[in-house]
Amino acid sequence: MKTSGGTLVACRGLRKDYGTGEGLVRAVDEVELEVARGETLAVMGPSGCGKSTLLHLLGGLDRPTAGELWLNDRRIDELSERSLAQLRRREVGFVFQAFHLMEELTAQENVELPALLAGRTPRQARDRARELLEEVGLADRSRHLPSTLSGGQRQRVAIARALANDPLVVLADEPTGNLDSTATLEVLRLFESLHARGLTLVVVTHDERIAATADRLISMRDGAFVDETRLTGGTSGSLAGLIGLGS
Amino acid sequence: MGRLLLVIRLAAKDVRRNRAEALLLLVAIAAATTTLTVALALRGVTSAPYAATRAATSGPDVVAAVQQSTLPSQLSGLEHAPGVVASSGPYLIAMPNLVVDGHSDPVMAEGRDPTATSVDQPKLTSGHWVRKGGVVIERSLADLLGLKVGDRVGLDNLVGGGPGPGGGPGSSAGALRAVGPSFEVVGIAVTAALQPSPLNTYAHPSGFPEAGLVWVTRAAAEQLAAITGGAFGYTLNLKLADPSDALTFAAAHQHGGLVLISWQSIAAKEGLIVSIEQTILLTGSWLLGLLALASVALLVGGRMEQQTRRIGLLKAVGATPALVTRVLLAEQLVIALLGAAVGLVIGWLAAPLLTNPGASLVGAPGAPTLDLSTILVVFGAAITVAIVATLAPAVRASRTSTVSALADAARQPRRAGWTIALSSRFPVPILLGMRLASRRRRRAVLSAASLAITVGSLVAVLMFREHANSLDTSGGLGGLFRFSGPGDPLWERGMNVMLVFTFALVLLALVNAVLVTWATVQDARHASAIERALGASPDQVGWALVVAQLLPALPGAILGIPVGVGLYDAVGRHASTLPSAPTLLGVLVATVVVVAVLTAIPARIGARRPVAEILQSETA
Amino acid sequence: MQQEVVLAMLAKEPSHGYELRARLDRALGPLGEAMNAGQIYVTLSRLEKAGLVARDELTDSSDHPDRKVYILTAAGAERVAEWFSEVSWPKPDLAEFHLKLVAAAQGGLADPIAIVDMQRRELLRRLRDAQRAAMTEENKSDAALLLEGIVLRLQADLRWLEACERTWTDRRGKR
Repeated sequence: MKTSGGTLVACRGLRKDYGTGEGLVRAVDEVELEVARGETLAVMGPSGCGKSTLLHLLGGLDRPTAGELWLNDRRIDELSERSLAQLRRREVGFVFQAFHLMEELTAQENVELPALLAGRTPRQARDRARELLEEVGLADRSRHLPSTLSGGQRQRVAIARALANDPLVVLADEPTGNLDSTATLEVLRLFESLHARGLTLVVVTHDERIAATADRLISMRDGAFVDETRLTGGTSGSLAGLIGLGS
Repeated sequence: MGRLLLVIRLAAKDVRRNRAEALLLLVAIAAATTTLTVALALRGVTSAPYAATRAATSGPDVVAAVQQSTLPSQLSGLEHAPGVVASSGPYLIAMPNLVVDGHSDPVMAEGRDPTATSVDQPKLTSGHWVRKGGVVIERSLADLLGLKVGDRVGLDNLVGGGPGPGGGPGSSAGALRAVGPSFEVVGIAVTAALQPSPLNTYAHPSGFPEAGLVWVTRAAAEQLAAITGGAFGYTLNLKLADPSDALTFAAAHQHGGLVLISWQSIAAKEGLIVSIEQTILLTGSWLLGLLALASVALLVGGRMEQQTRRIGLLKAVGATPALVTRVLLAEQLVIALLGAAVGLVIGWLAAPLLTNPGASLVGAPGAPTLDLSTILVVFGAAITVAIVATLAPAVRASRTSTVSALADAARQPRRAGWTIALSSRFPVPILLGMRLASRRRRRAVLSAASLAITVGSLVAVLMFREHANSLDTSGGLGGLFRFSGPGDPLWERGMNVMLVFTFALVLLALVNAVLVTWATVQDARHASAIERALGASPDQVGWALVVAQLLPALPGAILGIPVGVGLYDAVGRHASTLPSAPTLLGVLVATVVVVAVLTAIPARIGARRPVAEILQSETA
Repeated sequence: MQQEVVLAMLAKEPSHGYELRARLDRALGPLGEAMNAGQIYVTLSRLEKAGLVARDELTDSSDHPDRKVYILTAAGAERVAEWFSEVSWPKPDLAEFHLKLVAAAQGGLADPIAIVDMQRRELLRRLRDAQRAAMTEENKSDAALLLEGIVLRLQADLRWLEACERTWTDRRGKR
């Protein structure tokens, strides 16, 4: 199954098992998926449904037990760790639920790191990092260590870091998990602007707000997709009606 | 009682959970206590062999001797001189040649009674005292010639003449033929009536030529005197009412061909000369001890970080700080005491092997001793380590709140802004390696120190070998007393001991390197996983670990060279010549390669795991 | 338009109908467009009939409703004070939907799970609209705050719908 021109990420029969015999857990169960270029896809589901595992598989952070995985017209499920690393360097940006920032680096240095790993000069990395921190609204906190930043700020640094190498697709695991409403709104604005620039985004989330603004919404349970929705079209009642306006 | 049980249960559970760590700590403490034990046991050997021998052999206060073929009355008259309370002798001394293995060298043969005397009764380290057909060899001579009880030697006069009965084994030159009887070595003994000669053995102090000493029966001595054209001389051992008077006594009676030596003079000479072996033993023990300390420091340091979190957990479930401290102390004490016990046993077994293989430990003068004070010191040291290792985190934890102790799961890595900025100019593996190394300064320092000691020891050993190889190996009296060099059994033994120590040093250095590697790999796991998630390849991350190890290791190794030279200068008696540049380079390169390989293995193993696995476990 | 809201707006100063409308517009942001323009005048005349507001005779007395200036009466002011201290909250309509599902299941006329899914999609669309609207507003503006309330309620309702889906799916499984 090759990816056609418009598809950036695709998987077929994707499976991930943990343990053996009695203790076998099927985290991802024969998943079929195609993500178009420039699409924002949201994956929702209760905890333990396997959505984070799916994301890790898509980003080459974990190896599937079975199935095919395609990214940018290239089959990636059988690549070596080294090739997967190159992939993550150039094509995939990852935002973790637990942030996973380097505790001893400042926000700026954290965002610089992917660029340095990709071989950019220190100056290029620095400029790009400044740009990104500006975009996420943390330009004044660039010298702070993660331990002195709030959860929401750390999340935004992580998002900036994921964008450092201009990836083709950003995979985000609960990017608004620790954020209050204002911060969530800012992240949504950020995602919207990235979307407008043609970035492909796959988000795993509990947050209906993100899900609602995605192009496509997939519900997952027990490792399998159970529902897929495109929220096109208008609504039956007005927003105002919800709050008692406009009789 | 209940609380004690609780403490034990908690401590046991804790140890079980971290088995590998506890085991490593045990090994390190055992290594440290082994060297401590050996060093302490050897202090008897190295500090006062003469005093020990004098006590064990009822050594004489004054040795009187004369070089003439008949016994002068002045000599035998000394027995009744004022101040003398006991005496042994006069004993006849012949000077035959000792023939063994084709070598022939002159020795002093003293004729003795089979029964013990009250003054200067040589103490046997193996075998029996003189009997008919038997000869007892003085220990240092026996070492020199490699003689053991049961060997056959010839004592004869290698002057041209007819073949005698039972001629000794082959002569060294065609014109010389053995004419004397062959003897069986029935025993090896030590005596205090000899003084150390610079030629690594003991010689009669009274101006006799520097030749080794053997004892035979009086009859055999007279026989040997007859063969060699008469007695060489006579010797008399005296014990005074007041031993401190020996100097004045000797001075007072020194006339008419008589030579008197006091025990103080002999002791003074003793202090001047330290044999190769003792030097090596002492230095080697110190170096090993230092390295072992470094291991323990590394391990204890590593555990301390984890202790803070454990304390936090215990406090969070309701343990009082006192209980927590008790649990930690119990854990550390048990490990330390076990390690100390293991170390003591190994040290006890190892010490005699190093000084005198074949000699029994207890009772032999000049042999290593294991006494109560040693045991107490060793256990005391172990307990101190346990307490220190517990106190520091306990104090820190009692000062911080439970929440922050829990949150501070690992001690925050140190940040060096300039390192981070500097590192970004380098290629990825070096970039990551530099950052990794700068996270834990103390560990880097310990690693460098450990390598400096190791390389220094290797350099000193190399310098010693080179010096030895360049020595003139002939010379000395008739070939018996060669300057120490290859072929000299004492030399060989010394080099063996040095090799043993070098081996132990290198082993301990390897253990240290493994410890540092293990700690660094643990430390780096989370960071490496993130770096890989961001696009660093497993190779780059693996090389980063190697670089992180090499960054402190290389300067440490280079520093080892002047350390080694300084060590050699301080300890050796010879002028120092630096080993050649290729040799030094070889040592450096070998060290670097070993460190790199040691790191590369766990690095490679870790690098193949999928990133997600590592990240999940790190947040758990 | 709730009568008390209009009354309360008049408490600041006497106003024309269109002034009131403008102020409401600003406070409601994009949602203000849903508001029927004429509603406000109907409300004002009802209030006048109830004696809670009165026309201010001092100003222009043309018959054009736009030009009428309204003012609070004493009774009106009292009512406003009362209203400020009341704590009633607009009622959610959960009972109706819940009964819809039960009826569908019992009558066999429709699949409750399908109903839930449809409703869920609908609410998600509304959520999308609300969120989009919020993104264009300035942070912390009045309208943004209001939209925040809508978003949060929709989230709460969506969570309940997910719970409904799980329960009704389990029920079906058990049969």
